[in-house]
Amino acid sequence: MLILVTGGSGSGKSEYAEGIAVSLAERDGLPLYYIAAMKPYGEEGKRRVERHRRLRAGKGFQTVERYVALKGQELPEEGVVLLECLSNLTANEMFEPEGAGDGTEEAVLAGVEALSGRSRHLVVVTNDIFSDGITYDEVTGLYQERLGHINRELAARAEQVTEVVCGIPLQLKKEGSMI
Amino acid sequence: MILVIGGAFQGKKDYAKEAFFLADEDFTDGACCSEEELYQAKAVVHLHEYVRRCLQEGRELTGLADSLVKQNPDIIILANELGSGVVPVDAFDRSWRETTGRLCCELAKRADEVHRVVCGIGTVIKG
Repeated sequence: MLILVTGGSGSGKSEYAEGIAVSLAERDGLPLYYIAAMKPYGEEGKRRVERHRRLRAGKGFQTVERYVALKGQELPEEGVVLLECLSNLTANEMFEPEGAGDGTEEAVLAGVEALSGRSRHLVVVTNDIFSDGITYDEVTGLYQERLGHINRELAARAEQVTEVVCGIPLQLKKEGSMI
Repeated sequence: MILVIGGAFQGKKDYAKEAFFLADEDFTDGACCSEEELYQAKAVVHLHEYVRRCLQEGRELTGLADSLVKQNPDIIILANELGSGVVPVDAFDRSWRETTGRLCCELAKRADEVHRVVCGIGTVIKG
Protein backbone atom coordinates (compact mmCIF):
# COMPACT_ATOMS: atom_id res chain seq x y z
CA MET A 1 0.00 0.00 0.00
CA LEU A 2 1.23 3.48 -0.88
CA ILE A 3 0.23 6.33 1.44
CA LEU A 4 1.07 9.95 0.69
CA VAL A 5 1.07 12.44 3.58
CA THR A 6 1.21 16.15 2.86
CA GLY A 7 1.00 19.34 4.90
CA GLY A 8 2.78 22.61 5.53
CA SER A 9 5.75 23.28 7.76
CA GLY A 10 4.94 22.65 11.41
CA SER A 11 1.65 20.94 10.53
CA GLY A 12 2.39 17.72 12.41
CA LYS A 13 2.64 15.64 9.22
CA SER A 14 5.77 13.75 10.33
CA GLU A 15 4.25 12.66 13.60
CA TYR A 16 1.12 11.50 11.81
CA ALA A 17 3.11 9.60 9.17
CA GLU A 18 5.20 7.90 11.84
CA GLY A 19 2.07 6.84 13.67
CA ILE A 20 0.69 5.24 10.51
CA ALA A 21 3.96 3.44 9.72
CA VAL A 22 4.25 2.13 13.29
CA SER A 23 0.68 0.83 13.39
CA LEU A 24 1.02 -0.87 9.98
CA ALA A 25 4.25 -2.56 11.13
CA GLU A 26 2.62 -3.70 14.37
CA ARG A 27 -0.52 -4.91 12.63
CA ASP A 28 1.37 -6.97 10.05
CA GLY A 29 4.40 -7.90 12.18
CA LEU A 30 6.88 -6.25 9.83
CA PRO A 31 10.21 -4.47 10.24
CA LEU A 32 10.14 -0.69 10.12
CA TYR A 33 12.50 1.42 8.04
CA TYR A 34 12.95 5.17 7.97
CA ILE A 35 14.57 6.70 4.92
CA ALA A 36 15.88 10.16 5.73
CA ALA A 37 16.39 12.38 2.69
CA MET A 38 17.32 15.55 4.51
CA LYS A 39 20.97 16.58 4.51
CA PRO A 40 21.54 18.37 7.81
CA TYR A 41 23.11 21.70 6.82
CA GLY A 42 24.40 23.91 9.64
CA GLU A 43 23.15 24.16 13.21
CA GLU A 44 19.49 24.62 12.29
CA GLY A 45 19.60 21.55 10.04
CA LYS A 46 21.20 19.52 12.82
CA ARG A 47 18.50 20.65 15.26
CA ARG A 48 15.76 19.63 12.81
CA VAL A 49 17.28 16.20 12.34
CA GLU A 50 17.70 15.84 16.12
CA ARG A 51 14.07 16.75 16.69
CA HIS A 52 12.94 14.11 14.20
CA ARG A 53 15.24 11.54 15.81
CA ARG A 54 13.73 12.27 19.21
CA LEU A 55 10.22 11.86 17.79
CA ARG A 56 11.16 8.49 16.29
CA ALA A 57 13.15 7.22 19.27
CA GLY A 58 11.88 3.98 20.78
CA LYS A 59 9.45 3.31 17.94
CA GLY A 60 11.59 0.62 16.33
CA PHE A 61 12.72 2.39 13.15
CA GLN A 62 15.92 1.38 11.39
CA THR A 63 17.20 4.59 9.85
CA VAL A 64 18.73 4.76 6.39
CA GLU A 65 20.13 8.03 5.09
CA ARG A 66 19.58 8.41 1.37
CA TYR A 67 19.89 11.79 -0.27
CA VAL A 68 19.74 10.95 -3.99
CA ALA A 69 19.19 8.00 -6.36
CA LEU A 70 16.51 6.35 -4.24
CA LYS A 71 16.04 3.70 -6.92
CA GLY A 72 19.25 1.96 -5.86
CA GLN A 73 18.27 1.72 -2.19
CA GLU A 74 18.09 -1.91 -1.07
CA LEU A 75 16.43 -2.97 2.17
CA PRO A 76 17.29 -6.02 4.30
CA GLU A 77 13.70 -7.28 4.37
CA GLU A 78 10.29 -6.46 3.00
CA GLY A 79 8.64 -4.25 5.58
CA VAL A 80 7.06 -0.90 6.24
CA VAL A 81 9.00 2.08 4.91
CA LEU A 82 8.60 5.70 5.89
CA LEU A 83 10.23 8.03 3.38
CA GLU A 84 10.77 11.60 4.55
CA CYS A 85 10.53 13.78 2.67
CA LEU A 86 9.98 14.44 -1.02
CA SER A 87 10.73 18.16 -0.80
CA ASN A 88 14.25 17.33 0.37
CA LEU A 89 14.71 14.47 -2.06
CA THR A 90 13.58 16.66 -4.96
CA ALA A 91 15.87 19.51 -3.89
CA ASN A 92 18.80 17.09 -3.55
CA GLU A 93 18.24 15.66 -7.02
CA MET A 94 17.99 19.16 -8.46
CA PHE A 95 20.76 20.95 -6.62
CA GLU A 96 23.33 18.45 -5.32
CA PRO A 97 26.29 17.72 -7.64
CA GLU A 98 25.51 13.99 -7.55
CA GLY A 99 21.79 14.62 -8.19
CA ALA A 100 19.79 13.92 -11.34
CA GLY A 101 19.49 17.58 -12.42
CA ASP A 102 17.05 17.83 -15.30
CA GLY A 103 16.04 14.21 -14.70
CA THR A 104 14.82 15.02 -11.17
CA GLU A 105 11.17 14.11 -11.62
CA GLU A 106 11.99 10.79 -13.26
CA ALA A 107 14.59 9.97 -10.59
CA VAL A 108 12.24 10.71 -7.69
CA LEU A 109 9.27 8.88 -9.21
CA ALA A 110 11.37 5.87 -10.24
CA GLY A 111 12.85 5.83 -6.74
CA VAL A 112 9.46 5.77 -5.05
CA GLU A 113 8.28 3.12 -7.52
CA ALA A 114 11.29 0.91 -6.77
CA LEU A 115 10.91 1.40 -3.02
CA SER A 116 7.24 0.60 -3.25
CA GLY A 117 8.11 -2.69 -4.96
CA ARG A 118 10.56 -3.57 -2.17
CA SER A 119 8.21 -2.84 0.72
CA ARG A 120 4.82 -4.08 1.88
CA HIS A 121 3.69 -0.60 2.82
CA LEU A 122 5.29 2.67 1.86
CA VAL A 123 4.42 5.91 3.62
CA VAL A 124 5.75 8.96 1.78
CA VAL A 125 5.87 12.39 3.40
CA THR A 126 5.80 15.39 1.11
CA ASN A 127 5.42 19.09 1.68
CA ASP A 128 2.94 21.77 0.72
CA ILE A 129 5.18 24.58 -0.54
CA PHE A 130 2.66 26.02 -2.96
CA SER A 131 0.32 28.34 -1.13
CA ASP A 132 2.27 31.45 -0.18
CA GLY A 133 1.44 33.22 -3.43
CA ILE A 134 4.97 34.52 -3.88
CA THR A 135 6.56 34.43 -7.31
CA TYR A 136 10.08 33.16 -6.83
CA ASP A 137 13.13 33.19 -9.06
CA GLU A 138 13.16 30.81 -12.01
CA VAL A 139 15.01 27.99 -10.30
CA THR A 140 12.80 28.02 -7.21
CA GLY A 141 9.75 28.17 -9.48
CA LEU A 142 11.02 25.14 -11.36
CA TYR A 143 11.57 23.35 -8.04
CA GLN A 144 7.96 24.07 -7.04
CA GLU A 145 6.72 22.89 -10.42
CA ARG A 146 8.68 19.65 -10.22
CA LEU A 147 7.62 18.87 -6.66
CA GLY A 148 4.02 19.72 -7.54
CA HIS A 149 4.14 17.33 -10.46
CA ILE A 150 5.72 14.57 -8.37
CA ASN A 151 3.04 15.04 -5.69
CA ARG A 152 0.27 14.74 -8.27
CA GLU A 153 1.76 11.63 -9.87
CA LEU A 154 2.15 9.92 -6.51
CA ALA A 155 -1.28 10.98 -5.29
CA ALA A 156 -2.76 9.36 -8.41
CA ARG A 157 -0.99 6.09 -7.59
CA ALA A 158 -1.52 6.15 -3.82
CA GLU A 159 -4.29 4.26 -2.07
CA GLN A 160 -4.44 6.93 0.60
CA VAL A 161 -3.62 10.64 0.48
CA THR A 162 -3.79 12.60 3.71
CA GLU A 163 -3.31 16.29 4.40
CA VAL A 164 -2.34 17.11 7.97
CA VAL A 165 -3.54 20.44 9.37
CA CYS A 166 -2.60 21.42 12.93
CA GLY A 167 -1.92 17.75 13.63
CA ILE A 168 -5.37 16.75 12.36
CA PRO A 169 -5.44 14.30 9.42
CA LEU A 170 -7.82 15.19 6.58
CA GLN A 171 -8.35 12.30 4.18
CA LEU A 172 -8.16 13.56 0.60
CA LYS A 173 -8.24 10.10 -0.95
CA LYS A 174 -9.13 6.71 0.46
CA GLU A 175 -9.25 3.35 -1.25
CA GLY A 176 -9.86 -0.02 0.39
CA SER A 177 -9.19 -0.59 4.07
CA MET A 178 -7.45 2.32 5.68
CA ILE A 179 -5.30 2.81 8.70
CA MET B 1 -11.42 26.25 23.55
CA ILE B 2 -12.12 26.68 19.86
CA LEU B 3 -9.39 27.09 17.24
CA VAL B 4 -10.11 28.69 13.86
CA ILE B 5 -7.33 28.39 11.32
CA GLY B 6 -6.84 29.09 7.63
CA GLY B 7 -4.66 31.06 5.26
CA ALA B 8 -4.53 34.86 5.22
CA PHE B 9 -7.64 36.72 3.96
CA GLN B 10 -9.88 33.66 4.05
CA GLY B 11 -12.60 35.28 6.15
CA LYS B 12 -11.79 33.64 9.48
CA LYS B 13 -13.00 36.58 11.56
CA ASP B 14 -16.31 36.98 9.71
CA TYR B 15 -16.81 33.25 9.96
CA ALA B 16 -16.10 33.27 13.70
CA LYS B 17 -18.44 36.23 14.27
CA GLU B 18 -21.28 34.38 12.62
CA ALA B 19 -20.54 30.90 13.93
CA PHE B 20 -19.94 31.93 17.54
CA PHE B 21 -22.13 35.05 17.79
CA LEU B 22 -19.26 37.45 18.36
CA ALA B 23 -19.02 41.22 17.82
CA ASP B 24 -15.91 43.20 16.86
CA GLU B 25 -15.38 44.29 20.44
CA ASP B 26 -15.14 40.66 21.56
CA PHE B 27 -11.83 40.26 19.73
CA THR B 28 -8.43 40.98 21.21
CA ASP B 29 -5.70 41.50 18.64
CA GLY B 30 -2.63 39.27 18.95
CA ALA B 31 -0.68 41.88 16.98
CA CYS B 32 -0.73 44.29 19.93
CA CYS B 33 -2.29 42.70 23.04
CA SER B 34 -0.47 41.99 26.30
CA GLU B 35 -0.13 38.50 27.74
CA GLU B 36 -2.69 39.41 30.40
CA GLU B 37 -5.20 40.55 27.76
CA LEU B 38 -4.72 37.25 25.94
CA TYR B 39 -5.62 35.33 29.08
CA GLN B 40 -8.77 37.38 29.58
CA ALA B 41 -9.92 37.56 25.96
CA LYS B 42 -13.21 36.15 24.80
CA ALA B 43 -11.68 35.77 21.35
CA VAL B 44 -8.29 36.55 19.87
CA VAL B 45 -7.35 37.26 16.24
CA HIS B 46 -3.87 37.08 14.73
CA LEU B 47 -2.40 34.69 17.27
CA HIS B 48 0.45 34.18 14.77
CA GLU B 49 1.33 37.87 15.27
CA TYR B 50 1.42 37.33 19.02
CA VAL B 51 3.90 34.50 18.38
CA ARG B 52 6.00 36.79 16.20
CA ARG B 53 6.21 39.42 18.93
CA CYS B 54 7.16 36.83 21.55
CA LEU B 55 9.97 35.55 19.33
CA GLN B 56 11.17 39.09 18.61
CA GLU B 57 11.18 39.98 22.30
CA GLY B 58 12.66 36.66 23.40
CA ARG B 59 9.57 35.79 25.42
CA GLU B 60 8.94 32.15 26.26
CA LEU B 61 6.14 30.36 24.38
CA THR B 62 6.58 26.88 25.84
CA GLY B 63 3.54 25.92 27.85
CA LEU B 64 1.33 28.63 26.31
CA ALA B 65 -1.22 26.08 25.00
CA ASP B 66 -1.51 24.47 28.41
CA SER B 67 -1.79 27.67 30.40
CA LEU B 68 -4.29 29.16 27.93
CA VAL B 69 -6.64 26.19 28.11
CA LYS B 70 -6.31 26.19 31.90
CA GLN B 71 -6.79 29.91 32.50
CA ASN B 72 -9.08 30.77 29.60
CA PRO B 73 -10.84 27.53 28.67
CA ASP B 74 -13.59 29.19 26.60
CA ILE B 75 -11.34 31.31 24.41
CA ILE B 76 -11.86 31.34 20.65
CA ILE B 77 -8.50 31.56 18.88
CA LEU B 78 -7.95 32.69 15.29
CA ALA B 79 -4.58 32.06 13.66
CA ASN B 80 -3.16 31.98 10.17
CA GLU B 81 -1.76 28.84 8.65
CA LEU B 82 1.74 29.93 7.67
CA GLY B 83 3.53 26.75 6.72
CA SER B 84 2.37 26.09 3.16
CA GLY B 85 5.06 27.94 1.24
CA VAL B 86 8.65 27.67 0.13
CA VAL B 87 11.06 27.55 3.08
CA PRO B 88 11.85 31.22 3.84
CA VAL B 89 15.39 32.44 3.27
CA ASP B 90 15.29 34.42 6.51
CA ALA B 91 16.02 32.38 9.67
CA PHE B 92 13.58 34.39 11.79
CA ASP B 93 10.76 33.79 9.30
CA ARG B 94 11.53 30.07 9.32
CA SER B 95 11.44 30.00 13.09
CA TRP B 96 8.24 32.06 13.23
CA ARG B 97 6.25 29.89 10.86
CA GLU B 98 7.46 26.68 12.47
CA THR B 99 6.78 27.89 16.02
CA THR B 100 3.31 29.05 15.00
CA GLY B 101 2.63 25.71 13.33
CA ARG B 102 3.73 23.73 16.37
CA LEU B 103 1.73 25.96 18.71
CA CYS B 104 -1.36 25.45 16.55
CA CYS B 105 -0.81 21.66 16.73
CA GLU B 106 -0.67 21.97 20.54
CA LEU B 107 -3.77 24.15 20.64
CA ALA B 108 -5.63 21.82 18.27
CA LYS B 109 -4.85 18.86 20.55
CA ARG B 110 -6.43 20.67 23.49
CA ALA B 111 -9.27 22.39 21.63
CA ASP B 112 -12.85 21.13 21.79
CA GLU B 113 -13.33 22.19 18.19
CA VAL B 114 -11.06 23.11 15.29
CA HIS B 115 -12.50 24.94 12.29
CA ARG B 116 -10.61 25.52 9.05
CA VAL B 117 -11.71 28.41 6.86
CA VAL B 118 -11.05 28.43 3.11
CA CYS B 119 -12.66 31.10 0.89
CA GLY B 120 -14.89 32.08 3.79
CA ILE B 121 -16.23 28.56 4.17
CA GLY B 122 -15.58 26.88 7.48
CA THR B 123 -15.12 23.15 7.87
CA VAL B 124 -15.10 21.55 11.29
CA ILE B 125 -12.00 19.35 11.27
CA LYS B 126 -12.27 18.43 14.93
CA GLY B 127 -15.25 18.34 17.27
